[in-house]
Amino acid sequence: MLIVDDESNVARTLKMVFEREGFDVQTAFSCAEALKLLDRKPPLDVVITDLNMEREDIGLEVARAAQKLKKPPVVVICTGYANTSNAQEALDMQVDYLATKPADLRELLTALRRLLAMRGAAQRGLAQ
Amino acid sequence: MNTVARRGPKALVVHGDIGSISGLQDALSRGGCEIVAARDLPTALLAATHNFFDVIVISSRVSEEGDGWPLAGVMHMIFPRAYIGVIARDKNVCTLQAAINHGATQVFETKSAPAEIAGAILNKIPTSSKRVQ
Repeated sequence: MLIVDDESNVARTLKMVFEREGFDVQTAFSCAEALKLLDRKPPLDVVITDLNMEREDIGLEVARAAQKLKKPPVVVICTGYANTSNAQEALDMQVDYLATKPADLRELLTALRRLLAMRGAAQRGLAQ
Repeated sequence: MNTVARRGPKALVVHGDIGSISGLQDALSRGGCEIVAARDLPTALLAATHNFFDVIVISSRVSEEGDGWPLAGVMHMIFPRAYIGVIARDKNVCTLQAAINHGATQVFETKSAPAEIAGAILNKIPTSSKRVQ
C-alpha cells in the first residue's frame, strides 16, 4: 500500500493503523514522490492519496497515474477539501473510494477489504 | 458458419415513480436497450438474479430517501462491468461521494429529462468501468 499525504503526521498515523491491520505500507509526502514510487515491484494493491499537496487537487494526478499502471491498484482519495468540482472529477475518473477527513478508519478498512476482495475475485476470474 | 445474434444492451431501471420509469424506459428503448423495470428493491434484486445487465439506472430514492445507494453498491458487486447511473435530487459533494463509494458511474439530477439521461448513458456504455472489477 502507498499512502500519499503532505502532512507527515497524517501519513505516519495511517501507516501505523494499516500496518497493524497487516498491510505493507510505504509513504510519500508529495505527488512528485508518489509518482516515483507507483511503478514499484511487487505492484501496489492500494494507493491512498490526499488531494491538496504541492497544489490544489494534485492528488488526482496520483490517482490518474495509478489507474494507468499495468496492474491498477485500488485508488482511494482521502481529503479534507472535497468540493463538487474535485468530487465530480474523481467520479468521472472512476476512483474506487472517496473518504473525507477526519476519515472513519474502520469504515475505510471495511471498504478496502471489500474492494480488494472484488479485485482478487476478478483477477482469479480472468486467470481461469 | 456459426452466427451469434447481437442484442442491444440490457438495462434495469429502478425507480419508485411509475412516470419516471415509463420515461426512462421509452428513452432507453429508443436507444436500442432492452429494459427490465422495478419499482422496489425486492423486485430489483429478483431481476438481478434472472438477467445479466449492461446498464443499471437507479433512483437514489426508491421507497425511502437514500435506499437507492446501497442497491447501486450491490449491483456494482453483482455486475462489476455494468454502467450504473443514479438519479439524485441534486449533485453535491455528499451525492458524488456516495456515487463513488457505491460504484456508480454517473449521477443525474432528478430534474434531468429521461432523453438526456438515456443519451448520456448510451454515450458512456463502452467506457464505463475503470473501477475495481
